[in-house]
Amino acid sequence: MKQYKIIIVENDEDEQMFMKEGFDSSGLFFIVAQLKNGDGLIEWLGNHNDELPDIILSDLNMPGKNGYDIITEIKNNPTWSNVPVIITSTSSTRTIIDKCLSMGAADYVVKPDTFVEYVPYVKNLHRLIEEKQLVK
Amino acid sequence: MTTNCNLLLQGITDGIVMLDVDGYISYSNPAVSAITGYSSDDLLNKHLTIFYSSSDESIKAEYELGISLKKGKFLSEGWRYRKDKSRFWCEMLLSPLYDEQKRHIGFSCILRDVTEKKKDEIELRQNEQRYRLMVQGVRDYAIFMLDTTGHIISWNEGAKRIKGWSANEIIGKHFSNFYTAEDLEDKKPERELRIAVSTGKYEEEGWRVKKDGSVFWANVVITALFNEQNKHIGFSKVTRDLSEKKESEEKLRQSEERYRSLVEQVTDYGIFMLDEKGKIISWNEGAKRIAGYEANEIIGKYFSIFYPDEDVLNGKPSYELKVAKAEGKYEEEGWRVKKDRTLFWSSVVITAVYNNDGIHIGFSKVTRDLTERKESEKALRESYQRYRELTEELRHTNAELSYANQELEQFTSIVSHDLQEPIRSIKSFLTLIDMKLGERENATLKTYIEKAINSANRMKQLIQNLLHYSQLSKGELMQQQMNVNDLINEALQNLKGSIENTKAQILVEADVQEIEGDRVQLVQLIQNLVSNALKFTDGDTPKITIQCKKERDEVKFSVTDNGIGIAESDLKKVFEIFKRLNTEKEYPGTGIGLSICKKIVDRHQGQIWPESKLGKGTTFHFTLKQENTARPLTQ
Repeated sequence: MKQYKIIIVENDEDEQMFMKEGFDSSGLFFIVAQLKNGDGLIEWLGNHNDELPDIILSDLNMPGKNGYDIITEIKNNPTWSNVPVIITSTSSTRTIIDKCLSMGAADYVVKPDTFVEYVPYVKNLHRLIEEKQLVK
Repeated sequence: MTTNCNLLLQGITDGIVMLDVDGYISYSNPAVSAITGYSSDDLLNKHLTIFYSSSDESIKAEYELGISLKKGKFLSEGWRYRKDKSRFWCEMLLSPLYDEQKRHIGFSCILRDVTEKKKDEIELRQNEQRYRLMVQGVRDYAIFMLDTTGHIISWNEGAKRIKGWSANEIIGKHFSNFYTAEDLEDKKPERELRIAVSTGKYEEEGWRVKKDGSVFWANVVITALFNEQNKHIGFSKVTRDLSEKKESEEKLRQSEERYRSLVEQVTDYGIFMLDEKGKIISWNEGAKRIAGYEANEIIGKYFSIFYPDEDVLNGKPSYELKVAKAEGKYEEEGWRVKKDRTLFWSSVVITAVYNNDGIHIGFSKVTRDLTERKESEKALRESYQRYRELTEELRHTNAELSYANQELEQFTSIVSHDLQEPIRSIKSFLTLIDMKLGERENATLKTYIEKAINSANRMKQLIQNLLHYSQLSKGELMQQQMNVNDLINEALQNLKGSIENTKAQILVEADVQEIEGDRVQLVQLIQNLVSNALKFTDGDTPKITIQCKKERDEVKFSVTDNGIGIAESDLKKVFEIFKRLNTEKEYPGTGIGLSICKKIVDRHQGQIWPESKLGKGTTFHFTLKQENTARPLTQ
């Protein structure tokens, strides 16, 4: 199975920790960087033009640049616009999901019920990327 | 003597012919030639019949000669013929001639041409006939004759038509038959005849009686007739039926009266007349109402009384009359003065009035109090202003609403994240604690942790339902065709766990094949109703019937259960958000399910209502408006 290079954007430190555990234990992803918000992501990308990830997984609601800002900035930057952005959030509200997709998100995945259930989440995410061929 | 006799025979203008006993001419005087055109020689030895139309007339001539012989003379009148075959009206006197021995020796015949006289007579006769026919034929006038005592002696067609009697019914009767009882009592017929005799004629208009007893308004002329000797011989009577004329006069009078009373009673317009100098000569109800004067206090006053002092000083009233007379009418709006000296805004039309002979006799003046109109115009303006203000307010409110809507969206976003996330964290850590505690730790502590996790779950459920509810009003309603059975099955599939746990019996009776609507929402709707039916039981096995029927342009669904039912007083409350009629412990839930149902039905332009009795189960009915796509199953 292909291992994808991933950047995770999440402001909650606890969540970040459990996510890292989930991703690392699965072996399906290689975490390139974990960032706290859009500002951090843009800064990181600006400094690492040669090492772009296969995929960006971003929370939606964050202080500073949030998930929507990230979609817009990635889409509008010719260098990064090929990197798919998957939004992940606790909300399963249809209008929010639709808004993200219409703005250009590659997909939207609802976060697991608790932090402790990240392993099935990561597996599901990998299957999704494969099935929909989100990474070109 | 003989010479004298000869001269007489030669000079006399009457034709004298001597005939022998057989009627042959032995002598004719020159007058005969003058009358007949035959010379004496022509006639000599010719028979008398030479003057007759043809020889066949010899019988007639023989007869006439015979009569004259018998009676001593025979006078006849008739057509006789000249030599040129023209005829003349001839008076012929035949007398036998005797000699001294009394022997019959022939006849004398005197011929007289009376054609001229006859012509007059014929003409007269023809005239009389014509006249009689004319009188008889006149239909519009009853023309008849009375004798000196008033008895009817002739009757014409008009008399028959107007009075109704035929000639044979009325001739010989007295003309008083045509009079009313009052007139008879008054001896009017006799009086009329007396007047006619003394003055030559009597004329009047009055009521007369027809054969059928009805009366008519008649014009009557009775003329006394005198003969050439000036002897009174009777009366002619000419009667004309004036009922129609009378009727039209009556109509005119009534119409005038109606018009006058109409004008007098009009209250919205002051309508009155001025004489040519501007003096008020009539006054109506409207004028009284508008200007405040009674008719008796204003008639005779000069109309400038209605004008403000300034107008009077400027000569405005007389100027207006001048214009009205010159141009036919004067029109304006302006201030006028009432009796109580208050002003009113008036519309005025002054029209010059002329009589039938074209003589200017005064003015009509129509006045209308426009104060009310002015006020209503003002009110209209004000209401328009108010409307504008309202529109402005509405626009403002709209802006506020749209702002509020944006805020609501932000709120939704906040709820969905900022509230959900801490709950998730709480739950996550509680779960971790629970995992770490393991079996050996304090059992009570573990129970507490479980309760905390349940609370977090419930909190999460509440937030999600609330979000769901708020999301229902947003966005477009998806209109899609779907199979009713599929729809119900999808809802039941989602409830598979609960249905299996409760061992519920579910009966589906769908008479409709397909409906149109938002599939996701409709699944949710049915699911919520069935879920309630499963939940609110008394421990009995739930028995649920789902029906779907077509009703006019709607489709009606009914979900019936055998559960605990709803008290009548609570029926109206079931759709209130967060309204829970039962305790959480007995029947867990968030109190949003039916609110969501109501909202979904509302969005589909339908109705939802419960039918229930406490302890007797509940049926929730809902309708969905269908344009034209709902098809019964049988089709």
